[in-house]
Amino acid sequence: MALLVLLAAPSLVVAGASLTAGEIVRFPPDGLSLRWYSRILDASELRDALLRSLEVAFVCTALAVPSGTLAAIALARFRFRAALAIQLYLLLPFTVPLIGSGIGLMLLFGELGLLGRVWPVGVACCVINLPFMIWAVAASVNALDPELERAAASCGAGPVQTFVLVTLPAVAPGIVAGALIMFVLALNEFLVSLLLVDARTVTLPVQMYTQIRGVITPDLAAVSTVYVLVAAAAVLVLDRLVGLDLFLRAR
Amino acid sequence: MAPFSGRSDRRTGPALASYRFSWRVFDVLEALAAQWPARAMGLVKWFLLLPALLIVGLLIFGLVVMADASFRVMDFRTYQLSEHYSTANYVRLWGWGAFWATLWRSLGAALLVTLICLVLAFPYAWALTRTPNRRLRRVLLVGLFLPFFVGQVVRAYGWLVILGYEGIVNKALAVFGLGPYRLLFSYPAVLFGLVQYMLPFAVLMLMPALAAIPEEIERAAASCGASPLRAVLRVILPMARPGLIAAALVVATLTLTDFAMPAILGGGTNDFLANLVHDQFFRTSNAGLGSAIALVLTFLGTTIAGLLLTRAGTQAFGLRGTS
Amino acid sequence: MNEMRHHTSRRKLLGTGAALAAGVAMPAVLRAQEPPKPAELIVRAWGGVWVESLKKGVSDPFTAKTGIRIRHDLTEDNEIKPRIWAAVAQGRTPPIHVNWDTTANATSSALRGVCEDLSDLPNLAKVMPLAKPIGFTGVPIVNLYSYVYVLAYRPEAFPGGAPDSWMVLLEPRFKGRIALYNDGIGFHPVAQVLGGGKISDIPHNMEPCWAFIRKLKEQKPLLGEDPDFTNWFQKGEIDVACTISSNAREAKLKGVNVAWTVPKEGAKVDTDGMWIPKGLPANELYWAKRYIDFALSTEAQQVWLDGLGLPGVAPGLKPPADLVGDPSYPMSEKDFERLILIPPRIQAEHTPEWFARFKEIMQS
Repeated sequence: MALLVLLAAPSLVVAGASLTAGEIVRFPPDGLSLRWYSRILDASELRDALLRSLEVAFVCTALAVPSGTLAAIALARFRFRAALAIQLYLLLPFTVPLIGSGIGLMLLFGELGLLGRVWPVGVACCVINLPFMIWAVAASVNALDPELERAAASCGAGPVQTFVLVTLPAVAPGIVAGALIMFVLALNEFLVSLLLVDARTVTLPVQMYTQIRGVITPDLAAVSTVYVLVAAAAVLVLDRLVGLDLFLRAR
Repeated sequence: MAPFSGRSDRRTGPALASYRFSWRVFDVLEALAAQWPARAMGLVKWFLLLPALLIVGLLIFGLVVMADASFRVMDFRTYQLSEHYSTANYVRLWGWGAFWATLWRSLGAALLVTLICLVLAFPYAWALTRTPNRRLRRVLLVGLFLPFFVGQVVRAYGWLVILGYEGIVNKALAVFGLGPYRLLFSYPAVLFGLVQYMLPFAVLMLMPALAAIPEEIERAAASCGASPLRAVLRVILPMARPGLIAAALVVATLTLTDFAMPAILGGGTNDFLANLVHDQFFRTSNAGLGSAIALVLTFLGTTIAGLLLTRAGTQAFGLRGTS
Repeated sequence: MNEMRHHTSRRKLLGTGAALAAGVAMPAVLRAQEPPKPAELIVRAWGGVWVESLKKGVSDPFTAKTGIRIRHDLTEDNEIKPRIWAAVAQGRTPPIHVNWDTTANATSSALRGVCEDLSDLPNLAKVMPLAKPIGFTGVPIVNLYSYVYVLAYRPEAFPGGAPDSWMVLLEPRFKGRIALYNDGIGFHPVAQVLGGGKISDIPHNMEPCWAFIRKLKEQKPLLGEDPDFTNWFQKGEIDVACTISSNAREAKLKGVNVAWTVPKEGAKVDTDGMWIPKGLPANELYWAKRYIDFALSTEAQQVWLDGLGLPGVAPGLKPPADLVGDPSYPMSEKDFERLILIPPRIQAEHTPEWFARFKEIMQS
């Protein structure tokens, strides 16, 4: 319970502060008001940026789910001679500092003439967070009893059928967990995006955090709160659609 | 290898039409799979791995560029990197006190934050996977994802409000006649912020592993007379090892290369190596020295990950290797 | 080194040009040859009060006159730099048209050769000589106004009135309650004086500066950037800071209790400017130049710099009411005598080394 408070505390404080009626962010707020919320509804720049961030998150997740899942299954089911080297290679996104990755991707995309578009930012977010996807799935594959697949095969299922009907559903919890992480992180990515977007393709986190210089205004706190609410809504919608219990399911 | 198919089902009505369709698809796919030359079966695993290898491969370009730059020296009269190669940047790092101070600080944080996160994440993940209360589970899940959505600057503001000199905690302490204390802008504050930030990752990495442990095993341990603590230590922890290793890898490497928390909660005097990289690339525009530090950092992270993987045994981490 | 002007005089700064600037109004002959207008120009700016006042004073009036929309890119000055450099190196169109930048930071781009020459701007002849950077052939950067790194303080901590010396930073009661920029920017010349050294020894002998900063380290200063200072003042984390006057003023206008002063040892004065990266299509380059030329006009500067509370280079500007007689808004020769100017080129060539020394002291 204490951990829950620890995790949520900064978000809650900011949400409270965003309700202020005053000119600067304070907590406790100077009187309550929703005026800062009505202000962000008018800001078309923020709305456009949010849409671009959603595109980035979708591209990132759409790339990460198949590639990460297949890689995790390959790593867990087959023996590779250079297993350690492959794993360390796949860990590069975490061991290369983000600034280095960002500059490298900027130069690469610049060379390929891809800068100034939104989808390459999604690709970049996929690159820098892919290990999350791989491990979330690897943990599930590991938990899957190989006997199950062998049983399917002995009942006459071909390798493709076994894979689609037995292996994939069994690792679904890992896929859902990984996809959630990838989506959420891409939605909120700042540093690498900063190097890849321009003023016409700016994403929401970049728009938000570059806006401040000096006083943190309540509309920023309001945007953060909206962000948190959107996130909570996304988690709940996902829960309705697939059921979050899916990825807690014990066999 | 006889496909488990519906070829004999021609008489079926519309209710089974969809099944038949999916069977057909499988037939085609299985037939294609059967065409695969048997001696190339070893390549399948590489095809599965290929997309991920290619995606991560996009980083290689940057690494090559940085490796090249790290052996060139920046001339501050023209702000161009030298044409010739030298080891000057690395030699300079060797003799630069600030580099060593930040290096040890980053390594220490990676170790401490990983240990603390594992200890804290285990009960959280355990509660998530074992509580029969659906509502509690929802709350725990949402609490897990919330921190991702509050950006650095706003998060920093949140911590000022809570832990600041005139913040909530100090006000509460004042009721008992204590303080005020400077709770922010120190190494412990950075570690605290990192733990808060990394905890969700650790929990998410642990959850699938814990969910996979059948509850019967706990019950079996209990019925054999093991105390709950003993059951956890002797039975559950070893079974959760893959999850623990995955969590440790993620937290350790991300902490080592973090730059936001030291910048926000360190008060400017508790930089990590990534902050030095940031400074060199952006502030002093010294791509040569910045690349050298970034490569040292990559090397450190890879070494730590390698040690974790070999010590824990690749057996425990995903690689069961059945074929 | 001879070109270094330490204690700048107002007369030198004012120099020529009392004539009123003519805004973007250009002779009709020129207008007939105007290249096609782009739909929009992208101008890099800092967030908060900075972009708001630029929009009000320069961008919106420019759009009204020319019909060209201005989009503001709020990436930090030093974070957009690698993007521009990479674009020029790879022969791509740069991500912005106009970069509003600190002169010291812009100088590194000028030295690298990624800036267009701006010497043909008509308004350049009418403003203070300060507008042209020293030591370059041509004009890679146009300086637009100056600003002072003041001693900002919480009045509650100084019941006896404003501190008259930077030495208050060493008072035991302020241990852990003072703040500097995290690269030490704006403080080096003051530290040189406080450490018993001479300004004219910069950059060759800065030991007095480092000696003082080592002493200051014992005071456990907080190191941050502009938004941090405001937050820290607002939340009572610090009592004294060395920061740019406009940040302190913005915080004050938003209700944070903070005041500022220029102590007897003086304070560092610096300039900000605008420049255009190489690689733009010819017509966009033309209109980007017109934008900067308009930013030099008295008409634009009066509104824009009132918002920032900073003294511009255009002739005939009136200070905002709350800054008349304020030491951070130098007007007279006497005001300038207390301010220390280090030429941007010296700064650009030595900042990396100063930065390394500062980090060495503060991080260990």
